[in-house]
Amino acid sequence: MATFRAEVFQNEFLPDGGTDVHAIVTVTAEGVGGAATAGGGVAEIVMIDTSGSMTGPMLAAAKHAAQVALDHIPDGTWFAIVSGSHVAQRVFPYPNAPVAIVQMEPAARAEAKRAVSRLGAQGGTAMSTWLRLADQIFATVPAATQRHAILLTDGKNESEPRDQLTSTIRAVTGRFQCDARGVGERWQVDELREIATALLGSVELIADPADIADDFRSLLATSLSRGVADAQLRVWTPQGGQVLFVRQVAPTVEDLTARRTAVTPLIGGYPTGAWAAESRDYHVAVRVPSKTLGSEQLAARVQVAVGDEVVASGLVKAAWSDDASLTARISPEVAHYTGQAELASVIQEGLAAKAAGDEATATVKLGRAVQLAAETGNEEATSKLRRVVEIDDEEHGTVRLKRGASRLDEMALDTASTKTSRVRR
Amino acid sequence: MDSVVTDPTQTNLPSDPPNSYFGGDSGAETRRTTSSAPEEGAGPEEGAGPEEGAGPEEGAGPEEEVPVCGVCGEPTGDGARFCEACGAPVTATTGAAASAATTPAAASDAPVSSPTASVEAAPDPGTAPAASSTAPDPAASSVAPGSPAPAAGPTATSTSLPAPCHACGGVVAADGYCTQCGARAPAERDHREEQPAAHVAGVSDVGVRRRRNEDALALGVAGDVTVLVVCDGVSSAPDSDIASQAAATAARDVLVAGVTDVDARDAGAWSRLLVDAAHHADAAAHASVDDATARQDPPSCTLAAAVVGESLLVAGWLGDSRVYWLPDDGPAEQLTEDDSIAAELMAGGMSRAAAERSPDAHAITRWLGADAGDTTARTVATRPGGPGWVLACSDGLWNYASAPDVVADLLRDALRRVGNDPLTLSRDLVAWARAAGGHDNVTVALARLTPPSPAPPAPAADAHADDAGTTPTVRRRPPGSLAGEPVPPRP
Repeated sequence: MATFRAEVFQNEFLPDGGTDVHAIVTVTAEGVGGAATAGGGVAEIVMIDTSGSMTGPMLAAAKHAAQVALDHIPDGTWFAIVSGSHVAQRVFPYPNAPVAIVQMEPAARAEAKRAVSRLGAQGGTAMSTWLRLADQIFATVPAATQRHAILLTDGKNESEPRDQLTSTIRAVTGRFQCDARGVGERWQVDELREIATALLGSVELIADPADIADDFRSLLATSLSRGVADAQLRVWTPQGGQVLFVRQVAPTVEDLTARRTAVTPLIGGYPTGAWAAESRDYHVAVRVPSKTLGSEQLAARVQVAVGDEVVASGLVKAAWSDDASLTARISPEVAHYTGQAELASVIQEGLAAKAAGDEATATVKLGRAVQLAAETGNEEATSKLRRVVEIDDEEHGTVRLKRGASRLDEMALDTASTKTSRVRR
Repeated sequence: MDSVVTDPTQTNLPSDPPNSYFGGDSGAETRRTTSSAPEEGAGPEEGAGPEEGAGPEEGAGPEEEVPVCGVCGEPTGDGARFCEACGAPVTATTGAAASAATTPAAASDAPVSSPTASVEAAPDPGTAPAASSTAPDPAASSVAPGSPAPAAGPTATSTSLPAPCHACGGVVAADGYCTQCGARAPAERDHREEQPAAHVAGVSDVGVRRRRNEDALALGVAGDVTVLVVCDGVSSAPDSDIASQAAATAARDVLVAGVTDVDARDAGAWSRLLVDAAHHADAAAHASVDDATARQDPPSCTLAAAVVGESLLVAGWLGDSRVYWLPDDGPAEQLTEDDSIAAELMAGGMSRAAAERSPDAHAITRWLGADAGDTTARTVATRPGGPGWVLACSDGLWNYASAPDVVADLLRDALRRVGNDPLTLSRDLVAWARAAGGHDNVTVALARLTPPSPAPPAPAADAHADDAGTTPTVRRRPPGSLAGEPVPPRP
């Protein structure tokens, strides 16, 4: 039986007139069985880019990876394979099959592998069609409550306007989760990040096509370990209060603020997707009307709900004090993740400025990133930054843009920008 | 919460105390009241509005009471719980609005509908059992008039729900905070009242600035003798709220049990009893947490106790809680002499005002608890020659009125305004201290001393050596003047 718990880290003391309360809420799920134990079924769809650019070793590697994935989808799991170019096509079950998705069993696995082996590459890239087809396929198995997809591409979404992708992402949000993978250096990080962020998945760069198979294997292992199909983060604020933001801050930074749906007028729900036995940190910031010194009130209840049941609850408090030694202290957890969230945004802004030719801005932003990565102990970010900038002074964030930094290094930095280091407790 | 089932005055209340899960200590001897809104410093009786069981079809309060938002000043709709203009809770801002706001929202655009209306039982001074003066058991406490009778109103539909939020009338969740406005439901300990007999009462209140009430109060009556005990927990030591209540209760119990066994005229015997009570209180403070000796800052507290007979008044103390004798005629006296840095400064010649303003003024030099040194209470006896009031209080009161004549003026003013019921007077003094700033917890206990009339001749013949000179004049003994009495060994 899965259990959740929520721990709150904050400094509840506010100075006279203070209104903004920040807290880090660590949500931990334990005793989570595998996805198969979640009740309801599990459905997996693998989407492989078969546009013309994939021709050659890239397609061969992708086909191999899809076949490896088939080996790691356990019997009984609903599954389908989709090939995508400027149009999407169901590869398996075959397009003329009476059903759009089948349960895995040895014969189906063998036949699916055969179908994958016959894939060829041609045409453009319109990922919205891939996502729509996946959504239609998932819709045929309402019993499968845990729906997960993998999208693999090597290129830019060039066959359709960006807003078409955006509107499709919006349409399928909440219907399934999707991890997005870019292979090589010609795909657009921001496009895949948009997909993965909305669909509660991850985005990763796979520099070497030979690594696709391993990545698929680990994606499936992660997906299949998620024994809680869907959990919702709920934030209650008092009448007259407001949520400033709700952010997942570990293991990655994901801004959930705009994902709010009203549970009650005072309670907003934010999607968190499926859970394995794991721990995630959320940064919740709320604004409440200031009260008289000495008074205390609840600024937020942060809860985890599975279905309609609240399974964990943490209290974020506000207490007004004239004792500066209490009010001046910043919670180390809040400070750490505030820095990590800024790190993610300055990396992305710095790389965007560099791509636009604004080297001055890029230097300042990436310099700040170096400083933040050092301050918050994010060694992965530091090592990836080193491949893009020459660091003159880490403490002060003095850097020079590296001439001849490879596009792959920049993409690796970009995709990893949202990964955070946990706060040292 | 034993008192709920053992207190005969409580039988008409729900068996499940609505806020019993909000923590606080067991407080077996006291009854809580929650009807005062802490932010406003209002006495409980001021918060009571008109009958609030009104159905939704009835309008709000009287026409002339147009409530305005205390935050932005905009008029708020009749029955609106929150300001339309700024969203502030209406009830938290104005007393006049409080009565209107607790009626179910009539305005269709009120931001919150009335799911909570059915459990809004208004504090009703008229329906609360008022058996105070008849409680014969000195340990039994009474329900104070004006204390709320949760869920006893005619519209109450459920007796199992916790009391409505004191700030907005919303539903209080199991976590102890309101589901509407987030206000913390008052802890039982935040405001306690006792009135074991008609002539004696006390109020202990969290004050305005503190988050926890670490003061404790224990009152008792044994025959013609009245016992007042006030303890002030040391706020820098965790769990001192537990220690202070344990100490106060222990001291009171020793005094109540002991006074009937000794000569009511024997000041020396009463002094010894007070010293004994302080030792018991120290042991109780020590035992109030399992690991007191292992702690760096073990829970600790002050003690101020008074034993009040018809013609003898003896006070005992450690720390800076005080006992005053405030006769109807004649000069007021502070009987106790603080064990504090301020008192030492005054002893060295500094003025009271300057000493009490000094940075370490509130540092106490003697206390009860695991890390206390000498816990032998200092005592002082007086033989009042006429009627008057005995006041025991924590520094939450005397911070704002220290000198005896100032305290006497304060009480006289209160007597003129609210009459001579000691509970009403205690509430009034607490409200006054809150209005003055309420920086600390405030505890006030008052006992009326009325010598038998006609006043008996001074019992000079059988007086101990140390109570020689008992005359109608109040006599102040220097500290340690009773040291000639054999002090019982510490238990």
